[in-house]
Amino acid sequence: MTQVAEKEILLNGTQAVAYAAMYADVDVTAAYPIRPYTEVMDTISKLIADGQLDAEFIIAEGEHGQFEIVKHASLVGARTLVGTSGVGWLYAMEAIVVTATDRAPVVAVIGNRALDDPGAYGVEHNDALMVRDVGWLLVWVDTAQEAFDTALLAYRIGEDPRVLIPVGVSMDGGFLTHSEQIVRLPDRELVKSFLPPYDRGKLRVHPDNPISVAPQVNEDWVTEIRRQHDEGMERAREVIKEAYESFKKTFGRYPGTTRDITMPENPFVEPYMVEDADVILVGMGTVSKPMKVAIKNMREKGVKAGMLRIRWFRPFPAEDVMKYLANAKVVCVVDRDYSLGSPFRGGVVYHEVRSSLYDLDERPKVLSFIGGLGGREITIQDVEKIIKIGVEQRDTPLTRHTYWVNVRGDPW
Amino acid sequence: MGEEDVKYVEITYRGIFQKRLAKYVAEGLVYMARDMGKSAVSFGRYGDSPERNGVPAKYYVAVGNVSEEDLIGYSTRVEPEYVDVIAVLDDTLLKGVESWAWQGVQPINLKLRKDGAMIVTSRKPMEEMVKLTPSKDFQWTLGKLNWDRSFSGLWAFNDDTTMERVWGAIAKVRPDIVDIQHVVSYVKSHKKDKLNERLKAVEEAYEGLVIKTMNPGEGVEFKYAPPRLLTWQEMMEGTAIPAVPRGGRNEQFKRGTTKTERPTVDFDACIKCDLCWVYCPDECFDKTPDGYYDIAYDYCVGCGICAEVCPVKNCIVMVDEKRLPDYTRPYGMWKANKVEYKKWLQNARAEVRERPIVPGLGR
Amino acid sequence: MTENELEKEERMYKSIIKTIKQAPLEEFYTSGHRTCQGCESALLMRYLAKISGERTIVVGATGCMYVANTTYYTTSWVVPWVHTQLGGSGGAALGTAAALRALMRKGKIKEEPINVIVFCGDLGCADMGLSGVSNAMTYDYNLLIILYDNESSANTDIQETSMTPYGAQTSFSRPGTARRIMKRRWKKNVVPMIIAGHRNVRYAATTSPAYPLDTLNKIKKALSAGGPTFIHSLDPCPKGWDYDPMYSHELGTLAVETGIWPLYEYIDGKIVYNEPTKGIVEGRIKRKPVREYLEKQGRFSHFVEEDYDYFQKMVDEMYEKWEIPGVMPIRSVELARK
Repeated sequence: MTQVAEKEILLNGTQAVAYAAMYADVDVTAAYPIRPYTEVMDTISKLIADGQLDAEFIIAEGEHGQFEIVKHASLVGARTLVGTSGVGWLYAMEAIVVTATDRAPVVAVIGNRALDDPGAYGVEHNDALMVRDVGWLLVWVDTAQEAFDTALLAYRIGEDPRVLIPVGVSMDGGFLTHSEQIVRLPDRELVKSFLPPYDRGKLRVHPDNPISVAPQVNEDWVTEIRRQHDEGMERAREVIKEAYESFKKTFGRYPGTTRDITMPENPFVEPYMVEDADVILVGMGTVSKPMKVAIKNMREKGVKAGMLRIRWFRPFPAEDVMKYLANAKVVCVVDRDYSLGSPFRGGVVYHEVRSSLYDLDERPKVLSFIGGLGGREITIQDVEKIIKIGVEQRDTPLTRHTYWVNVRGDPW
Repeated sequence: MGEEDVKYVEITYRGIFQKRLAKYVAEGLVYMARDMGKSAVSFGRYGDSPERNGVPAKYYVAVGNVSEEDLIGYSTRVEPEYVDVIAVLDDTLLKGVESWAWQGVQPINLKLRKDGAMIVTSRKPMEEMVKLTPSKDFQWTLGKLNWDRSFSGLWAFNDDTTMERVWGAIAKVRPDIVDIQHVVSYVKSHKKDKLNERLKAVEEAYEGLVIKTMNPGEGVEFKYAPPRLLTWQEMMEGTAIPAVPRGGRNEQFKRGTTKTERPTVDFDACIKCDLCWVYCPDECFDKTPDGYYDIAYDYCVGCGICAEVCPVKNCIVMVDEKRLPDYTRPYGMWKANKVEYKKWLQNARAEVRERPIVPGLGR
Repeated sequence: MTENELEKEERMYKSIIKTIKQAPLEEFYTSGHRTCQGCESALLMRYLAKISGERTIVVGATGCMYVANTTYYTTSWVVPWVHTQLGGSGGAALGTAAALRALMRKGKIKEEPINVIVFCGDLGCADMGLSGVSNAMTYDYNLLIILYDNESSANTDIQETSMTPYGAQTSFSRPGTARRIMKRRWKKNVVPMIIAGHRNVRYAATTSPAYPLDTLNKIKKALSAGGPTFIHSLDPCPKGWDYDPMYSHELGTLAVETGIWPLYEYIDGKIVYNEPTKGIVEGRIKRKPVREYLEKQGRFSHFVEEDYDYFQKMVDEMYEKWEIPGVMPIRSVELARK
């Protein structure tokens, strides 16, 4: 199946998702403008205008309305696309939570953006991470190709009857939302065979299937509802694996990979030079790219460094994290987010990683690096510095948990 | 020291109509118990909130010979496992309490502990009250506070000494929880106006409480099985549930216990105008083949709108819920024997009272 | 449109149900809901489900008619029903209608008319949800949004909303010794806001469950008019308004007979008055004093003479000063000069 004529086209991350939605033949989209995600909807609108996509395009009165629109459309049985960024995601928060509890598998693009105040367009992951506890599947991509592939996968995974959970596809504002890369678009017929029609079955809202959705509930039932959701989240692990395998079988390449981009076949994480590494960097999103260059540079200097990029943050790949980090001496988690007042003042991903490693007999040291906030670069030099700090901490008792990357006023 | 040192008072009342009364009764008990050197807290059953007019609701007081902190520990619950005293503020509640879906109609004294006491505000003779009271398989005490039920609207408190009487009655049956001296001293220190009237009410209730020892099995048999709630595997996902099938009604939540009165129909007077059916907010009227309307009493909440809009005098009349033992529908009775039905109707309507709701005045 | 055409249209609409005997017997919202005794909003739910029938999807925003009507794992709805968040009515209506349109157009479900009805209370429609409802009214999807107005946030035990009448007692506006009247703002006038601001709304109406035939027909007309439509129903609330539940019907009619709650419908640019309001506007029926209505409710029990007078003056203005009586608080300069 590998001999399929792929079309190569220059797209940025947001456009890539819009194209994926077109290939997925979405039925209803809801838009509201906010940087940097907006071009998803600009593109959808034009695809509809040009007759390439047959879908309802509704401009909501705000993000809350946007998410209510797709939630209800999804409950009726429509495949939907929605998206937002930063404070828009937070403005919609109530609707976002019920989208998950009502088990509406909408696909949402989050062009990650710093939260106000003051207004900033640049990337931070705190927006999407706000829903980490309420039952959304969350995934971070680092190239336009991965954005396209993952959006297709998101429909397949979220809509699986074993899952029925919405999927948030995060991409770094600016670095991916506004950067064009060559994207390989598959044959449309193949997409049809990869992505079955969305069918809610007995949960579909339609006069032929009369049900009541989300009646007011008391303490007799809420725990069981949460437990069901928990189980759906857990079942997603298997479904994600199946979907990645099926993607490879159908399109002849592993999701996210191209002729030029290769990586080990693991849906949840991307390990890079971890096998013999003393110092392993952990991060999400586009930070992986400067990380890889820095690792190569440092290895030339004899430093055994590696990287583990977290792709699926929910469900969190604790087992993979344990597997790939078990032999490291130091783990440097680079968080493009902050969790002020948290244990050791560390970032959100840091805590997840640290917690995952707790049951290891011999635990590596785990350091937290807060950086790249508000769209600031994390440069190759920054990463090299992080690796150096990791090496310093390797052979001494731990003196410090958390470092702010390249912040004026603190030594760096 | 342990949970056996904690006593619970359960106040069962009509939602909204007795909301303030129940809360004030509970509040007084807390202060009195504290004056007696005990720890005490009060709490409403949270699931009853927001209260709806007439829907049965509960309030609790916990009194303990334990530290206040431990008492709060024992009482941080939706409702206690057992109660020592039940104060029933409206005697139609004796027919059962259904507050939430799936829980069914529970007997009024479901949680009463062995040797516990239940006080009912009622004008009914004790022997008739016993006929409405569910039996227990142990000995317990039934008390009758000879007094009308006190209702008011949301913004009003009907300050008619019912509160003082309930305190006096509890002191009579369970001086270990609050004794009469402390009821009197609390009333004196907290209520400045109409003090003599209030003290007299306390005394009347204390002295005049009609008490009967209920032997095991005495009273009516009240079948109640706690529901088996579905497991998470059995429940539909996505918070969805099946709709009511066409032509059906909500089987798992009927709420007939909301009513203090029910409509009786004189079918011989009915002109088939449909107004009762049209205006019923609870969809209780079922059209019969010959154009009358039968009533689903198990779903009727007794609002009285049907009686109010009925254009024929005495065709629909609201009667005290206690006068009728069950939810037998009227149309079948009338069809079976019209003469008997007329007699039955006359008997049911023998005492028709003004509705006691006091609106307004809330400040 | 000529006078003749107007009459024709009116006749057409009136022909839907002439007497209550023609109302369908079957209930699609049925017994077993945790509403108060004498709840008029429950009655409205019953009417809307009854007249719209089996091929309907109902969506309900948070509020009494959400919390009280469905106690999980049970429901009182026969037709499919979905909860939407307090401010979600407009979005829910759009999403449901858009999904049906897309799925039918793309051949994914059978092509057929399916009614989409979304109900919301004062908060869900007139306060938090207003922008969403407005947005829904700008699209051309077939949907009906119903504001069930019990003049308070009734589900949280009666707090003031923008729909609470002047002076009424609520948990947020309790009269005190220093201030008798805490609710000093006048109730929002929603239907005119909808019809003035949304050109493609072809049908909107005020209604009251105290007038069942009028209510049933208005819901039916709204559903048959096509496009986005809007109904605002004033529902007496025995709990919050504080009166004996048996008087719900009486208070509904008094609200209309005093002129406080005018019944009218907006049909393609025209206002048609209904029931007693028609007679009041035409001068055939004298409005009852507002006092008759206010005195029957505990929430106005703190009113003194000047409060009644003020209330009466404000209602008088609706009929004596407004160019479209009872509807819009405007008067052209030209007319004012006459």
